[in-house]
Amino acid sequence: MDTALTVRGVSVQFGGTRALDSVDLEVKPGEVRALVGENGSGKSTLVKVLAGVHTPEPGAMVEVAGQPFSFGTAGAGDSLGLRFVHQDLGLVDSMDVVDNLAVGRGYRYVRNGVIMWRREAHAAHEALAALGYDVDVRRPVIELSMSERTAVAIARAVLPGKIETRMLILDEPTANLPATEARRLFELIRRVRDNGTAILFVSHHFAEVFAIADTATVLRDGKMVTTQRISDITEDELITHVVGAKLAQETGLEEPYTAAGSVALSIESLGGRVIDNLNLEVHAGEVVGVAGTTGSGREELPGLLFGDGPRTGTVRVAGKVLPAMKPHRAIAMGVGLVPAERRTRAAFMEACLRENVTIIDTNRNKRFGLISKSKERKDTLAWLRRLNVRPPQPETRIEDLSGGNQQKVILSRWLRQSPKLLILDDPTQGVDVGAKAEIHSLIEEAANEGMAVLIASTDEAELARLCHRVLVLRQGKVRHEMFAPNMTADELTARTIGGTV
Amino acid sequence: MSEDSYVAAASSTVTTKATPPESQVPVEASPETPRRRRRRFSLGLDRFSGVYVLALIIIIFGFWVPNTFLTTLNLRTILAAQAITALVSLGLLLPMAAGNFDLSVGATLGTSLMLVLKLQNIGMNALLASVIAILSGAVIGLVNGIVVVAFNVDSFIATLGMSSILSAVTVAISGGQQIATGISPTFLKLASTQWFGINAPVYYTLGVAILLWAFLEYRPGGRAIYATGGNPRAARLAGIRVGRVVASTLVASGAISAFAGVLLASTLGAGTPTVGPPYLLPAFTAVFLGATQIKRGRVNVVGTILAIFLLATGVKGLQLAGAPIYLPDLFNGLALLLAVALAVRSRRAR
Repeated sequence: MDTALTVRGVSVQFGGTRALDSVDLEVKPGEVRALVGENGSGKSTLVKVLAGVHTPEPGAMVEVAGQPFSFGTAGAGDSLGLRFVHQDLGLVDSMDVVDNLAVGRGYRYVRNGVIMWRREAHAAHEALAALGYDVDVRRPVIELSMSERTAVAIARAVLPGKIETRMLILDEPTANLPATEARRLFELIRRVRDNGTAILFVSHHFAEVFAIADTATVLRDGKMVTTQRISDITEDELITHVVGAKLAQETGLEEPYTAAGSVALSIESLGGRVIDNLNLEVHAGEVVGVAGTTGSGREELPGLLFGDGPRTGTVRVAGKVLPAMKPHRAIAMGVGLVPAERRTRAAFMEACLRENVTIIDTNRNKRFGLISKSKERKDTLAWLRRLNVRPPQPETRIEDLSGGNQQKVILSRWLRQSPKLLILDDPTQGVDVGAKAEIHSLIEEAANEGMAVLIASTDEAELARLCHRVLVLRQGKVRHEMFAPNMTADELTARTIGGTV
Repeated sequence: MSEDSYVAAASSTVTTKATPPESQVPVEASPETPRRRRRRFSLGLDRFSGVYVLALIIIIFGFWVPNTFLTTLNLRTILAAQAITALVSLGLLLPMAAGNFDLSVGATLGTSLMLVLKLQNIGMNALLASVIAILSGAVIGLVNGIVVVAFNVDSFIATLGMSSILSAVTVAISGGQQIATGISPTFLKLASTQWFGINAPVYYTLGVAILLWAFLEYRPGGRAIYATGGNPRAARLAGIRVGRVVASTLVASGAISAFAGVLLASTLGAGTPTVGPPYLLPAFTAVFLGATQIKRGRVNVVGTILAIFLLATGVKGLQLAGAPIYLPDLFNGLALLLAVALAVRSRRAR
């Protein structure tokens, strides 16, 4: 009876697709198990079965620490000691840490119906300290860093309650974290594990899997492909299991940019909330990367340039001054922005692909002064094919697509404008391996055709792969600049924290 | 003869698109059918459900009270009575499509009605009075727009406040009395003229509906409105000037409501300050119910018009069948709740 979680013969059928096909899984107490696979491989379906959202087909069996689990009931896992931390964390942003810890389980120190705030605060602080975090627990969680917020969500999940925590399920907890903060999170995961809690860690990032997991289970097309000890396998082997065929090893650019193109973007003493006196020139055909931890100014720069917030300093596009806070002017001057938060800042989720692709310039497909939908469909279809969007159906709603395909739709929206300068903010966040490689080659292709590209990314490997040059930001300033071919992801990561390699 | 003509005309606005895609209907819906699949299946049935309900209503009352319900007279009555409501809901539809409420449409109608009568009452030419009344609606919309966009007041609050202010203005204009004298006979003809036995306002409304439909479906401006309503932050980053879009829709809804007020003034030939506000609720009901039809989850012209006739036909049938006087309000209120519940459900089903 020495398993924390036993899963046997779990199959889930969605219409014509088999989302999970007779999946078996066994996790021991104190084991960190990574669950890896491309988007659509069945990872989230499995997590949702455990969360009681989906009911598998008859014949399936799940046990938590030897106790049978009843399918399709939301609280079933909770009462057996299964705890979930989902990617969005599920915190109430405006409430403080104490309140957030009490959500769902109530306050612990209540006398005569009155909450004893000092004791609650003390207990909350202790709970986070046990995970290695020293946080002001009376601050609203929205003011905390992403890793601190993740810690709050995990603390809430593992907080001792009536039922012992048997297993912690982390659904892509690092998707929004830069490398340094992710490392802090790993330390935290180790502490939870050392208490004998089993951990199921769902992730896209193989580097993380190798950093934290003891074992890894690979899902592909709903089937369990293999379970391996991390120490027995290389990253390449794991990727091969995930994608099913060996991908070409990604390498960075072989040569630095030789300034042949005209200056597409020039920034003089740019200032924002964090960014302080930033100067930069990007040439036509050049790919410039921006690395930095959260709070370094990396995440601020793209929006600042495009007009999404107040700024100081001068920004010129092809020699002409671009005013602040005017995205429509930026577009007219040939600038495009693929923002990091696709759902909230880029996609029109309820609209179809045709409307999403053509929105920037709806004048292009007119006939007799009116938009011709058949022209638009043709126009859109050409782009969907070119970017290999699946399915290539202009009338499909964008929300029905996987994250990677949605991102390609947003990318085609901008490539259709053939901008002089394309600004990309974390362009492959939450995108599966295959789509990521495709997006990378599209960016490369566009740059080869003379487009200037500025990429801010939390994924240092992505920057090392794509960029001629990378600026490393810390505390709003450019602290370091690296050039192809002499840069590696590890070195960039080290520079973002302030180290030297 | 009367039977055929009724059915044909009552559903003429909708039957062009009303053929259900039969191939999509029979899909086994197991409890585990996922979201995507279930939606595709229901799309054909749900988005035209209003047409089926309308047909059902016509059949029921056709059997129940055939002598009064299935007559051309009844059809004309319904059309004439609903033209104004339909016009107000078309105005309201624009800010709704851009993600904003306009709770002042009823009050704007009332103000414009009172203004066009009062101006004639004090001796102004009918045409000029009408133009001024409609422009006043646009100005009301502009003020709404400025409050919402420049001062960042939620449109619900801004237009609710405006609605109250307009009630005061309307009473002030009227001096608290009914205005029924000095109205030009030409002005009365605006609404009383008939073509093919149908009153002119029906044609005006139809004209506005066609223009709006073409604009929303086939003009870049329409796309900008839907994009703003769908995701204002993304719209802004796609180069759409969201503030202008929102303000423009409020100006348009003001002007259209005021036009409805002028038509109503011409129809009634007299006015009191209480005439306008009751138009608000039916207009909202129609827009919400319309959003569950044709293009689900999106307010749209054809769905709204369909909703108007669905509600009006139901109410009329019940009245002819001898239902009590309080029934229309009850029916409309229930329909609004049902429409919103359906809209929320279909959004959740995604």
